[in-house]
Amino acid sequence: MGMDANFVLLAIVIVTALSFDFTNGFHDTANAMATSIATGALRPKVAVALSAVLNFAGAFLSLKVAATIATGIVEAGAITLTVVFAGLIGGLAWNLLTWYFGIPSSSSHALIGGVVGATLIAAGASAVKGAEIVSKVLIPAVLAPLAAILVATIGTYLVYVITRNVPEGTRKRGFKYGQIGSASLVSLAHGTNDAQKTMGIITLAMIAAGAIGKDAGTPTWVIVASATAIALGTYLGGWRVIRTLGKGLTEIETPQGFAAEGSSAAVIFASSHFGFPLSTTHVCAGSVIGSGIGKHLAEVRWSIAARMGAAWLITLPAAAAVGALAWAGANLIGGALGVGVVFGVALALSGALYLASRRRPVNAGNVNDEWTGRLAPATRTREHAA
Amino acid sequence: MSDYIDLDALWRVLLASLLAGAGLVAVFSLALVGLSSGRTAGRAGAGLCFLVVAAGIVLGLYTMLAT
Repeated sequence: MGMDANFVLLAIVIVTALSFDFTNGFHDTANAMATSIATGALRPKVAVALSAVLNFAGAFLSLKVAATIATGIVEAGAITLTVVFAGLIGGLAWNLLTWYFGIPSSSSHALIGGVVGATLIAAGASAVKGAEIVSKVLIPAVLAPLAAILVATIGTYLVYVITRNVPEGTRKRGFKYGQIGSASLVSLAHGTNDAQKTMGIITLAMIAAGAIGKDAGTPTWVIVASATAIALGTYLGGWRVIRTLGKGLTEIETPQGFAAEGSSAAVIFASSHFGFPLSTTHVCAGSVIGSGIGKHLAEVRWSIAARMGAAWLITLPAAAAVGALAWAGANLIGGALGVGVVFGVALALSGALYLASRRRPVNAGNVNDEWTGRLAPATRTREHAA
Repeated sequence: MSDYIDLDALWRVLLASLLAGAGLVAVFSLALVGLSSGRTAGRAGAGLCFLVVAAGIVLGLYTMLAT
């Protein structure tokens, strides 16, 4: 492969990585802001703008070279530019599909699945570290929501018991500010943890392509580009996922929203400090469920929780299948052209999904409409921009 | 099983999460009780509670970034 083809290949991988980062942002806006939007603590557009700014800032907070969990689970020798590209496509596809169906699901798991699938087909099963996947991905995925449910249930219970005699006005205003504060912390932590993943992937790709030295740190423009992509995605707002998390799982009041975000922030901070890799999405969804249990046992819509749980179970294999397919397609055609063709196909499919979502849009105008058992509000369709 | 789970890290995460996630949330709630009591002692107590919450947030940010 000539130098120019190599450069084109690297450029496509970087664009794909930033696209993934973008979907990571809009898919996960819900984690921090769904409860604040649902309770009316913040107007929808203000909530996503605040979250976007904090995601951007969070990306700059930690300057250590990104812990690229997605690459720690496969043998370093198996990682080629095409494998990284195909892995990103797998993650992207799953993020977009779950967004379309309004299902909160882990962007990290999607990326890991994609990379594993691409590695499996490119280098065989021996290149995948099975034990690492069990200990760093599968077990945390079970524990994260359980820990968050426990913390949020206790927190919500305490909040209601302690403030039962506080006048409604003080209570509502107090928890409104508390909720905004705790949701801001979740946004900040999201920017710090998730933008790092993209920075790590881009740095890795540049090293693999020989564009920078093996021990080189993350170039500044990569940090700025990753922070911008995740912030733009966050600002666009994944309204479909926000609606499920804020209205679908349980009906949330301000004190519950506060307890849920407080729980999420605590679990995310604690797990990143002690090196226990938990998915932000798994934690936040668990907290919302816990805030429903802590107030009234019957308030959680378990059918939606079950649908979400099923999606979490198939995240890895589904993203892996797309990752493997993308690698096979790129490899069949070969070189930068192969990667370019797969990129074009992915772009076309994403566009089709976007058009399909416009038929029953969920946006800032109808995200809080009453939950009638389905994602898109059926009563009316407003023509606001998404 | 413990080959697959870092049990040490797990119980630390759980303990810290409970202290910060449920504990600070409860302290914040106590502050609202103090505020609405209308008494000076209540307001002072509320101020103290808010300080504890703020300190917890700063500590949390610091430890997360220092890792």
